[in-house]
Amino acid sequence: MERTTSILPVFAALFPMVMTFAIYYVQKESPKLRNNLSVLTSIITFISVAAMYPIIAEGKIIVFELFEVLPDMGVVGTFRVDVLSFCLALVASFVWMLATIFSVDYMSHEHAQNRYYPTLIFTLGACIGIFVVGDLFSFFIFFELMSVISYVLVVHEESVEALKAGYKYIVMTIIGGLSLLLGVINTYEISGSVSLDQIGLITEPSGLALATFIAFLIGFGMKAGMFPLHVWLPDAHPVAPAPASALLSGVMLKTGAYGLIRVFYNVFTPEFLQETGWITIVTVLAVITILLGSAVALTQYDLKRRLAYSSIGQMGYILLGLSLFTHTALVGAVFHIFSHAFMKGCLFLCAGAIIVKTGQRDIRELSGIGLKMPVTMIAFTTAALAMIGIPPLNGFLSKWNLALGSLEAGAPVFVIVLLISSLLNGLYYLPIIISAFFGTEAQEKKFTFDEVPFKMLMPITILALLCLVFGVSPINLPFNLSKMVADMLLGGGI
Amino acid sequence: MTTAMNIIQGHSPALIVVTFLLFSYLMPVLDSWKKNWCATLAIAAHVLALFFTGILAWQVFTTGTVTYHMGNWPPPWGIEFVIDYLAIFMLTTITVVSLLILIFATKDLGHELKAQVSSWYYTLYLLLVGAMIGLAITNDFFNMFVFMEIAAISACGIIAIKEDKECVEASFKYLILSAVGTGCVLLSVAMLYMVTGHLNFTFAAEALVPALELYPNNILVALALFSAGFIVKAALFPLHVWLPDAHSSAPSPSSAILSGLVIKIYAYAYLKLLLKVFPGDIFSMVPIYDMILILASLSIFFGSLFAIVQEDIKRMLAFSSIAQIGYVFLGIGLANQAGLTGGILHIFNHALMKAMLFLSAGAIIYCTGIRNIDQLKGIGAKMPLVMGVFAVGAMSMVGIPTTNGFISKLYLALGTLDAGKPFYLGVILVSSFLNVIYYFPIVINAFFGEPGEEPENDIPVKKLPLEMSIPLVILAAGILFFGIFPRHMLILVERAVAIF
Amino acid sequence: MTDIALKLFDNMYYLVSMVLFIIGFHTMLTHSNLIKKVIGMNVMDTAVFLFFVSTGYVAGGVAPIIEPGVEQTYINPLPTALILTGIVVAVSVTAFALALIVKLYHHYGTIDAEEIMRIRSTE
Repeated sequence: MERTTSILPVFAALFPMVMTFAIYYVQKESPKLRNNLSVLTSIITFISVAAMYPIIAEGKIIVFELFEVLPDMGVVGTFRVDVLSFCLALVASFVWMLATIFSVDYMSHEHAQNRYYPTLIFTLGACIGIFVVGDLFSFFIFFELMSVISYVLVVHEESVEALKAGYKYIVMTIIGGLSLLLGVINTYEISGSVSLDQIGLITEPSGLALATFIAFLIGFGMKAGMFPLHVWLPDAHPVAPAPASALLSGVMLKTGAYGLIRVFYNVFTPEFLQETGWITIVTVLAVITILLGSAVALTQYDLKRRLAYSSIGQMGYILLGLSLFTHTALVGAVFHIFSHAFMKGCLFLCAGAIIVKTGQRDIRELSGIGLKMPVTMIAFTTAALAMIGIPPLNGFLSKWNLALGSLEAGAPVFVIVLLISSLLNGLYYLPIIISAFFGTEAQEKKFTFDEVPFKMLMPITILALLCLVFGVSPINLPFNLSKMVADMLLGGGI
Repeated sequence: MTTAMNIIQGHSPALIVVTFLLFSYLMPVLDSWKKNWCATLAIAAHVLALFFTGILAWQVFTTGTVTYHMGNWPPPWGIEFVIDYLAIFMLTTITVVSLLILIFATKDLGHELKAQVSSWYYTLYLLLVGAMIGLAITNDFFNMFVFMEIAAISACGIIAIKEDKECVEASFKYLILSAVGTGCVLLSVAMLYMVTGHLNFTFAAEALVPALELYPNNILVALALFSAGFIVKAALFPLHVWLPDAHSSAPSPSSAILSGLVIKIYAYAYLKLLLKVFPGDIFSMVPIYDMILILASLSIFFGSLFAIVQEDIKRMLAFSSIAQIGYVFLGIGLANQAGLTGGILHIFNHALMKAMLFLSAGAIIYCTGIRNIDQLKGIGAKMPLVMGVFAVGAMSMVGIPTTNGFISKLYLALGTLDAGKPFYLGVILVSSFLNVIYYFPIVINAFFGEPGEEPENDIPVKKLPLEMSIPLVILAAGILFFGIFPRHMLILVERAVAIF
Repeated sequence: MTDIALKLFDNMYYLVSMVLFIIGFHTMLTHSNLIKKVIGMNVMDTAVFLFFVSTGYVAGGVAPIIEPGVEQTYINPLPTALILTGIVVAVSVTAFALALIVKLYHHYGTIDAEEIMRIRSTE
């Protein structure tokens, strides 16, 4: 594919990091300025990512070399944006922008905001950095930065529970990071290059190659919440403040999925992984992840915990789609990255709104909430239905493609897995909706409108609307991008 | 004027050592005359040394290796100083880090020592730095021995100067074991002299090649004694027993320089002699590299393991030093380009990190008097700067990218694979993880811990003077700078490695 | 047998210095009395000095004071000169060690290492 150069990726990744310091310094002057600056930073970041669209739409790849960090080590410090990177960066910066806007009112009653905003914006920079860099070393650097810094978001509440979850998170993250480092170093040792601008860095089966594959799988699987490395996720995601949970589940999990795509398609090749049969490991783990996430979610009565387990199940879909290596399944997986970011972002933000208004996290206490907070609950319903995979919504589209892809791959058993998990999704989402609108208390209570402020409603509404729009609209940008990604990855057009 | 410049340029290798010795002996004289000048003059000595280092660096980079003959006696007879890229690397590390520690010390000492000994502290400190510089640039066996003894006595001195029970005992233990170490080294020098008739490294190296045919046992025994001596000095497991007491009980600036620089200089000297003096054939006779690798791994592993169970913050840092010196020896044992680069780079990186960690521990003790790790809960809110730099140091110890600890670990990891010894890659990764277990809880408790209701949490926090905070900030900035822009340091280290 | 004995006799200085070294080393590490440790250190140092000086000895040689016109074998003066420095170093280390022992005695009232360990552990 054609290469072109542009400063935009560098700007998108480094601008938030630079602004972190500005935000840190203005907060002494005025909290309002700090909030506005944070929102502004996230908006500018989103715009600068979106501004790459014309170049990407032409099918070009943006390459930018910053400087050589380590001499004699090949390319380091390079930025490279192809359509896959663009998709991820776009969805990350978009959800991040909405979450930041949501934070302004949500966090106003929380402590330590002076720590929250700089961390939030810095993590944004690191997260965009992961998607736009062009080699595995830089990738690893941004990945570690994001993982370690987001620890501060996880333990924001500073309760005993949060600290425990945070410790689990940081320990698992470091293990994952070290494993990833092992993978990167092995790759460098085998192929002498870590550039993502090449396909098939490793094409010879050997013990070291298998070790590399496993190392990458542990490193990224840890982040993506893949069974059996998901244990940190249900603890860490619920304890964070709602916007941070939305980002952790909606965006940061996807960095793991993105990393796996790069490993499957750049470091190794699909043919190689199929010949050696190593990919079967991923497929099996993905199926377990789907079923386990959905099943355990049923047993949770804390709203955010249930959402967190649901995230594990949904990441399983993406992993499954990636591991099948068929065009349709890949489209489904990439589209599900979009869908899940919107759905889960919306759900976590709704949970945050509910907690702000009622202080309630227990699902059994949410009866009748739909009359009190109709807008929030309608958005929640939309996203939850999309999660289940009800037809006109975007969740359906991704599942449909995944199911078709499984058939294409000659494995109808996965269709059954998808159906079972959809059923389970229904079982744990529908009761919430039903009791919210038609619960016992709803019949007694009058309609009392008591909604959260506009700045919180707006992000929720936008995300819910997008779930609907990208399910029905004939001009479906994410879907088209997903197709381009699949064409590029399977067509060998890197 | 030009003649003065010529003298300075021509004699800077000698002058850099002489500066420290001269200023060191000026201190007791000044003590009875202008007491408050001591600190300033000690800093002035370092600035002068930095100036000479700069001149030497410029000479090495423009004209190549600089040699200097003491008293103009040519090498086989006279003492020779050789300054190559490796020596420049060591000189820069020593002068810069010890200057920063000294600036910190000017304020901290008043709190840790009796008033009448503080100028004596500078005497010992400058002697120690001068001896280290001498060790870094000398090319003569006996001269090396003399500098080792000076360094040992002054190092024991800056521990015992605090005069409380633990310090005196630790210092005695250090002195005895260090005497064993230098005794072994001197015996080894005698054996080498016996077969070669030379004390100069270069000449001895030439003479050792034919001598290995004639007297292999002699040289093997020399190598064994030599290794044992330096391993004691550098505190590699299992000969590390003196280090935890000595480094934890000493005044904080002493701990910083002992852990940051002194143990490293012996690793450096060992590396230089092993690779430059002993003939290559000897390594096929005994698997010395494998032995070093095993000892280094044990050191990394047990150092971290012991560090986990410590309650005293300085003791924990001391055990961590044992683990970190293991990395340097790991690089030596790998003996290939990437491994040596990683090992040598870790000398510099760890000097920055550990000096900073000990100084920030010192700052915590200065401000609050707390040494116990459990009592550090919530201290981050009271001392954000100190705990902030501590967090940077902790991340560097673990090897989080964008800190310099990552770069050296990366090169060590590449070295293990180049050498075809992936087992040691596992050692590096596991030890990084162990570092997380003992460093991160401190940082987490300091910043996110619930401020408890116990009365000891309400102890008043003294304000940190500027002289103590500036070195901390500079060291932290250095850690991040060399983590993000390691290029120039790497070029220097790679040139240094190229001489082997 | 006599061969070996003769050889050992020829290299008596080396043999003796090795024996001394081991005696010193052993004393230093096994005795708990701190003064004895220092004595052991001195014995060990002396052994090394003896070894070093004897490397410069030439059978039948005399001190290298050159008289013009007299043909003589001289011993190698370099090790002797070096060991002079070595002795000075050893003396200063000994002095320092003894000073530390005095301090320890003030603090603990004993110069026995095990006793000190016991006192420290009960504190």
